[in-house]
Amino acid sequence: MVAALQAQGTKTVWDGVYSDEQATRGRALYNTKCLSCHGPDLSGGEMAPPLIGIGFQSNWNGLSAGDLSERIRVSMPLGAEGSLSRQQVSDMIAAIFAAGEYPVGAAELPKEPDVLKTIQITQKK
Amino acid sequence: MSRLRTRSTLAALACAGGLVYLAAGMAGQTAGQPSTKNGDWPAYTGDVKGTRYSPLDQITAANFNKLEVAWRFKTDNLGTRPEFKLEGTPLVVKGILYATGGTRRSVFALKADTGELLWVHAEFEGERAVKAPRQLSGRGVSYWTDGRGDERILYVTTGYRLVALNARTGSLIPSFGKDGLVDLKVGMVTGAGQQIDLVNGEAGLHATPTIVKDVAIVGSSFKESMTVTTHNNTKGLVRAFDVKSGKLLWTFNTIPRPGEFGNDTWENNSWKDNGNAGVWTQISVDEEAGLVYLPVEDPTSDFYGGHRPGNNLFGDSLVCVDLKTGQRKWHYQIVHHPIWDYDLSSAPLLADLTIDGRPRKIVALPTKETFLYVFDRITGQPIWPIEERPVPQSDVPGEKTSPTQPFPTKPPAYARQAVTEKELIDFTPELRMQALEQLKAYKNGPMFNPPAVSKAQGPLAAMTLGTAAGGTNWPGGSLDPETGIAYLHACNSCITTIGLIEPPEGFSSDLRYVLGQAGQPFRVAEGPGFGSAADFPLPGRGGEAAAGRGRGARGQAPAAAAASPATPSPAAIRGGTTVQGLPLLRPPYATISAVSIPKGEIVWQVPHGDTPDAVRNHPALKGLTIPKTGQPGYNISTLVTKTLVVAGDGQVTTTDAHPRGAVLRAYDKATGKEVGGVLIPAPQSGSPMTYMANGKQFIVVAVSGGAYSGEYIAFALPAEAREPRVTN
Repeated sequence: MVAALQAQGTKTVWDGVYSDEQATRGRALYNTKCLSCHGPDLSGGEMAPPLIGIGFQSNWNGLSAGDLSERIRVSMPLGAEGSLSRQQVSDMIAAIFAAGEYPVGAAELPKEPDVLKTIQITQKK
Repeated sequence: MSRLRTRSTLAALACAGGLVYLAAGMAGQTAGQPSTKNGDWPAYTGDVKGTRYSPLDQITAANFNKLEVAWRFKTDNLGTRPEFKLEGTPLVVKGILYATGGTRRSVFALKADTGELLWVHAEFEGERAVKAPRQLSGRGVSYWTDGRGDERILYVTTGYRLVALNARTGSLIPSFGKDGLVDLKVGMVTGAGQQIDLVNGEAGLHATPTIVKDVAIVGSSFKESMTVTTHNNTKGLVRAFDVKSGKLLWTFNTIPRPGEFGNDTWENNSWKDNGNAGVWTQISVDEEAGLVYLPVEDPTSDFYGGHRPGNNLFGDSLVCVDLKTGQRKWHYQIVHHPIWDYDLSSAPLLADLTIDGRPRKIVALPTKETFLYVFDRITGQPIWPIEERPVPQSDVPGEKTSPTQPFPTKPPAYARQAVTEKELIDFTPELRMQALEQLKAYKNGPMFNPPAVSKAQGPLAAMTLGTAAGGTNWPGGSLDPETGIAYLHACNSCITTIGLIEPPEGFSSDLRYVLGQAGQPFRVAEGPGFGSAADFPLPGRGGEAAAGRGRGARGQAPAAAAASPATPSPAAIRGGTTVQGLPLLRPPYATISAVSIPKGEIVWQVPHGDTPDAVRNHPALKGLTIPKTGQPGYNISTLVTKTLVVAGDGQVTTTDAHPRGAVLRAYDKATGKEVGGVLIPAPQSGSPMTYMANGKQFIVVAVSGGAYSGEYIAFALPAEAREPRVTN
């Protein structure tokens, strides 16, 4: 595991860290579990912060996909905290990244927290 | 070290009971009553006049940047999971800090100088808390003392019960109510007087009780009213209780019953089957005059009033009632027949000022509208004329809007009140053109643009600014009693598009129209924090099954919500309230305004908050120099001290000036010049306060958001930066 981590290095969301198929899967999940608070366009509302744009970047730029995964795991969705599997959380994050127009890649976003921690959410350099 | 010992001695005298108040020479102050004058912060807004003002001046422009974290308190272990929206403002009385925190709305006491935990209290309310419309830890607690050693903390639980605790131990006062609690749902009704169910009935509160003399005044609050299943919701009210016994002293019905003044403003007897019109924000009091100021919210159904024709008193009204009897003395309705969610959102501000050469006792009301309404608080007379002006009329079937709405002539509005072409994004011509194109999808208009029936071909909705969000929302403003200047944070770019649809398949409602957009999946708006109660879901029930409870719960959302993609059909028009991720309107995105009430003018106004990263680093803006834009949002309020206005950012940024974080800023209160800032790890999510403890001035602010769970952070000056004199 350690060797695998060392091989990973640090990536950013601009390095194609999720797959198109995964984002589609994640979007279907989002629609049933997240849309009512975060909106069909992920712009949020009185109930919930946005998952794209200024509000999302303010909350998550400089943090990792692992941080986002942990927040979702611990506190989301409201009323069913802890009900999402790690795979589902990663798929959800892929959908969020797709909506934020981060580039698609060949491989899926992994579900292991240690690996997710190596993927930085940043603005394009 | 000896200097510290001296201060400890003074602190010990303070704890010994009252001597420090006499020593400070505070003649004329009620004996034994704490006050911001002597370094305490005994009420949510500092005092019961809404001011958020303290005369402390150990922390100044010269040393603000030297502030260090004195202590911090995470609320993670209060309740069953961390909370990410901590909105409380703590109290401090005689060196003890009292606050709420956590998903169970626990109450705790800390030593105010060290942050050491002294006690915690929590009510385990089970299903009653799970069903509550107003979740999470709320805005805080209230303090009462008889001045002779009996000290109590009062607060309203998630499940809407009024609790009295011994301030020293945190234990329930057995002689208050029933074993320390008053069930506030008792007396809450729907219809013509049907008592609501004590567990499932919809009523709650985030605000703190307002305590004056031996009276605790408590408002009422409900779920968001945009997509309700019935207009016959719980009726709002305000009640006063004896602070010692919990006995009900009076009730003020915000929806007048037959025979009561204002009942005829509900045509077709619609008073009967409509509700809400609660008072969900902080109530202010003139203790000397014995007058209470109630800021009332919308009646049921924020955006469609077809089931309640008429002006609907006292919805969206400032009502002044007698402290002893609850009898209405005067009122002013800010919005007639409310359909914009212009709820009166924050504490009325009270001051005694000289205006046009005359001494006046005023009440000033900040609003989502960004008008500051100023009245003689004894008579209700507006200080400057308020004109009834014609406004756009609704064409929604069944709706009947008021032909006019009030417009204060002074002071001027302190932020934008509508989306206009002039105010669109204009960093580049391309961005502006895109904004203009997007605007075509909506029904546009000036302030009081009525909600519109949503059509996929357009208009998608009515374009409004500062309606649901504000403007100035729940955090409210501050008022400097020395100068009569009100410091008002306002979102200047918080757009709400108000589209109406018939209740869709699967969502049962007796409303003709609810908030929605044609072609978009239907979203049910619950109460803030819904689903985050400590015991949600209840033990033994699966999460998904539990999510299907209650009126309008997500579990009952129509299948369309799951099936339809977010992309509009080919024939539909495309709208959007952002342009390439940037706000539709040009900066400033939010401001702090200093409004001089004696002059009736804005004396300074500045954008508040670092330019968001997404704006500063936006590819379309490469090479442009953009002045500080401020940060869009409405969760910010200000603290005023002897020389400073203090407010934190509502967003995290990474700039050349600071690493990733938000900034707790200080402005020169006379000029608006930014004079200092310290980094906080997450956005300000609760309004800041200040107090003296052990010879030091502290500023405490609640932070939370994103990955950062709720925390109260206390700042103070290190020994070498403090003035040698004693200031308490």
